Amino acid sequence: MVLLPFRIKVKNAESGATVEMELENDNTIDEVIESAATFWNKEMGAYVVRKGKKVLRGTMVLVDAGVREDDTLELVPDPEGG
Amino acid sequence: MEEMLRPSDLDGDRFDRSRRIEWLDLDAISRTRVLMVGAGALGNEVGKDLALSGFRDITVVDMDTVAVSNLSRCLFFKESDATEKRLKAEVVADGVNNLAGTDLAMAVTAKIEEVEADIFLNSDVILGCLDNILARTHVNARSYRAGRLYVDGGMDGFIGRVMVVRPPDGACLQCGMNKSHAKVASLRFSCTGAKTVFHEPRMAAEITTTSVLAAIMVREVVKHASGRDDLLLSNILYYDGMQNRLDELEIPLNPDCLVHRN
Repeated sequence: MVLLPFRIKVKNAESGATVEMELENDNTIDEVIESAATFWNKEMGAYVVRKGKKVLRGTMVLVDAGVREDDTLELVPDPEGG
Repeated sequence: MEEMLRPSDLDGDRFDRSRRIEWLDLDAISRTRVLMVGAGALGNEVGKDLALSGFRDITVVDMDTVAVSNLSRCLFFKESDATEKRLKAEVVADGVNNLAGTDLAMAVTAKIEEVEADIFLNSDVILGCLDNILARTHVNARSYRAGRLYVDGGMDGFIGRVMVVRPPDGACLQCGMNKSHAKVASLRFSCTGAKTVFHEPRMAAEITTTSVLAAIMVREVVKHASGRDDLLLSNILYYDGMQNRLDELEIPLNPDCLVHRN
């Protein structure tokens, strides 16, 4: 099976900035989080990715998470302080 | 003899205004056994809200001492508490008792991981006011196994989130965690040969965000104690005080989550 790359947008929930990301179906949500956090030079911390109202599981591959071409995911910080 | 009606009596009841909210069950609230884990910024605000909401059985767990840098966002801490290195759990329990005018809060000075697991079974609800992922995952797992409602708060500067975990149904805190959480947790404890180094990050914090999150947390517990689980947050609520955003999101149950597998 040939995996064709596709593009999505990832939005930075804190700044509102958006970046385009080229991915393959077998990329994982964890990889999207790591790439986006690195791109925006995010401080060491926990983040989640949401699609609409749903938080996507880190280990899921994109195709199983229902991520498709032109989707917009949002990188949301998961704050640790108390 | 006929009962005498005095309008001024209405102001002699501490909870008169609360009793005007029909669905609020103050008797049930006063009987609810609350375990509050963490007595930092969130713990101070949550403790205040619990006492003023009518909770009368509160256990406060924390192992730390008061520092001067805590004073910008902790209602019950005073400069002298920092100077005397008083224990946070004791200061918060004392503050809550003073506010309520009765002894209703008890302090336990220990790391929650070192406290007997029975403390979860002997509580009706657990409030997580913690500052690290490892302690959160511990409290989440213990609460889930004990079948108790767990309300967890976390914040960083002007953003925060509140999660409500409702065993035996739905996702738990750990279901929503990913590799980035594991990375942060691993940094807390890095083994360098024979010595274990404890990393204590200094996170941004300020009182207005703390107050908002604590209010949401205690309100969820008030609903639960009053038998209104139908009104509870179904999953997680994200708060962004800079953009004035409040989003309720769904965290799907992760069948591979250790908490659900055991």
